[in-house]
Amino acid sequence: MQTFGLLLDGFAVAVQPVNLMWALVGSLLGTIIGILPGIGPALTIALLLPITTTLEPTSAFIMFAGILYGAMYGGSTTSILLNTPGEAGSMMTALEGNKMARAGRGAAALTTAALGSFVAGTIATLALTFAAPAIAELAFYFKPADYFALTTLAFCSVAVVMGNSRTRGFISLFIGIAIGVIGIDSMSGQPRLTFGVMQLLRGVELTVVLVSLFAVGEMLYVASRFRSAPAAMASVKGQAWFTREDFARSWKPWLRGTLIGFPMGALPGGGSEIPTMLSYTLERKLSRHKDEFGHGAIEGVAGPEAANNAAAAGILVPLLTLGLPTSATAAVLLAAFQNYGLQPGPFLFTSNPALIWGLIASLYIGNVMLLVLNLPLVGIWVQLLRIPRPQLYAGILVFAMIGVWGLAGSWTDLAIMLVIGLMGYVMRVYDFPIAPVLIGLILGPMAETQLRTALAAGQGNPIVLVSTPLSGTLMVIALLFLAVPPLLRRLRANA
Amino acid sequence: MPALSTDGQDNSQNGGGPAAASAPARPYWIGIGVMAIGAVWLYGASGLPQGARYAAVGPGLFVTISGAALLVLGAILILQIWRGESFEPQEAEDAQADAGMDRRAFFTALVAVAVPIATMKPLGMPFTATIAFMLVANAFGSRRWWLDLICGAVLAALAWFLFARLGLQLGGFFPPLGF
Repeated sequence: MQTFGLLLDGFAVAVQPVNLMWALVGSLLGTIIGILPGIGPALTIALLLPITTTLEPTSAFIMFAGILYGAMYGGSTTSILLNTPGEAGSMMTALEGNKMARAGRGAAALTTAALGSFVAGTIATLALTFAAPAIAELAFYFKPADYFALTTLAFCSVAVVMGNSRTRGFISLFIGIAIGVIGIDSMSGQPRLTFGVMQLLRGVELTVVLVSLFAVGEMLYVASRFRSAPAAMASVKGQAWFTREDFARSWKPWLRGTLIGFPMGALPGGGSEIPTMLSYTLERKLSRHKDEFGHGAIEGVAGPEAANNAAAAGILVPLLTLGLPTSATAAVLLAAFQNYGLQPGPFLFTSNPALIWGLIASLYIGNVMLLVLNLPLVGIWVQLLRIPRPQLYAGILVFAMIGVWGLAGSWTDLAIMLVIGLMGYVMRVYDFPIAPVLIGLILGPMAETQLRTALAAGQGNPIVLVSTPLSGTLMVIALLFLAVPPLLRRLRANA
Repeated sequence: MPALSTDGQDNSQNGGGPAAASAPARPYWIGIGVMAIGAVWLYGASGLPQGARYAAVGPGLFVTISGAALLVLGAILILQIWRGESFEPQEAEDAQADAGMDRRAFFTALVAVAVPIATMKPLGMPFTATIAFMLVANAFGSRRWWLDLICGAVLAALAWFLFARLGLQLGGFFPPLGF
């Protein structure tokens, strides 16, 4: 049980007072931004990236993990009380949860969501504890061709799964890849697409792109279509929190949701939308109270909420073991690793075990903290929603501006913020998925390096790209991602 | 223009009655924009070596691939728009997706994003952030400019002190006065 010993070492790191404090800061921040509209975990971590220059890596990642998990808890609170799912993963929670709140069962909905998140978060972290070292072990044998095939698969799945149109998904992806080639080529030292601008030699930072797309793009979009009438908030005063019957109806959906969410979160392109939807559909099928679905069924909150949290833990598996981000938040976490000069992947498990295991151990601790923070104190958190929207969005822009300007004090970055912010606006109006841009931006350079290394080793013969069993298999799966959806559609049309 | 049913588009198929009256907008410019980006990247790639002496692939290949892909995808998008592809604005908290665009609010907010380009260096971060804060608050319907001025100035000054302490290089507090 080597893993167990390593995990114990991790706990020794995580329970150090300073790390406990960062876990608490992260959980608090995560809960707050989960509740506030207009700001999510990816944007928050991106804005906090500059502090990586002063903070020790273990503490920083413990805080970032708290933000990642905390945002899930906070997101469910607004979905239930206000019917405003901040992100795709909370949509199903809002569906049943808000109906429950309107029927005077909001407290029970909040409790099943928080307990479900806790159960799912803990089980998923447990799965991560044992799956990650095994996958990292396998990844030692990966060749450049395997890595290139893996990134290709991630590209295809992200572009196809996220959003409603494959064409628009791929346009988003290739815009990210195109931005990623700007700057000095790491292998030949040649400047690419810098258009004679000195500041572009170092490339376009992920933080600039992310802040522009998520903060500026969102702010412009909401400003242009602002709904000033605030949504009515359901009250939970004087309600029964959680009855024995509620528990009896919740625990199985929690476990099933976890089982669906974790593996799907770990897959490239799995995201949180599909597992929560699957969980909802499954619970609806299995429930003995089918008539309650659509009017506030507790199973419809418990399952999807567990799936959502388990999926959030799932994204850490490919990130930590292979260095492969599968969501916007994971892409920022990868950028944070790179800021420290660390490359997540199999070698990190051996070269920096204190960081990896401290981070994993702090996920357990963070989950307990979040449960304590969220259940009794939910009344305090929802007060945050009273912040007037004009000042809230103005504040978000101020922080975005500081995040971009603080990177390098560069005029060019501010100009890029305007251009990409406008692009973020257009992408929202015309329904282009945002996350593939970031995946393309951060994985593009990785894919290019692996492609060039693989081809150089194979003396330019492209067959080398599918020469190992793994690379061949992954490429076939990537092709299937492209070919299967239109084929299915055609078959259905002919049927 | 008849929509091809095999492409999974269900518009204009079920009855050409009253629903057909509202013809879908055809935003060809997006496709043209995507193609233009692709063309710029292809042009940039043309000056780069595609192959290298020792490695099989040079620095230009990936640029060519991304440019060509955007060119092709832009063309596909134009074709889809021509066939009547519909675009639904995304859902967001506090936004009414199906509402029309409020131009005044949008352009006020856009000016708030553009202002830093002109003022950040000469006038400093706190001043710039205060102006941007007031503009965004105004775009979202706040009419108490003096309150926004105070809120923005306090937030900007606090953030400047906090982030400067954390080691961020944000420049002087108010450069015209030399500090």
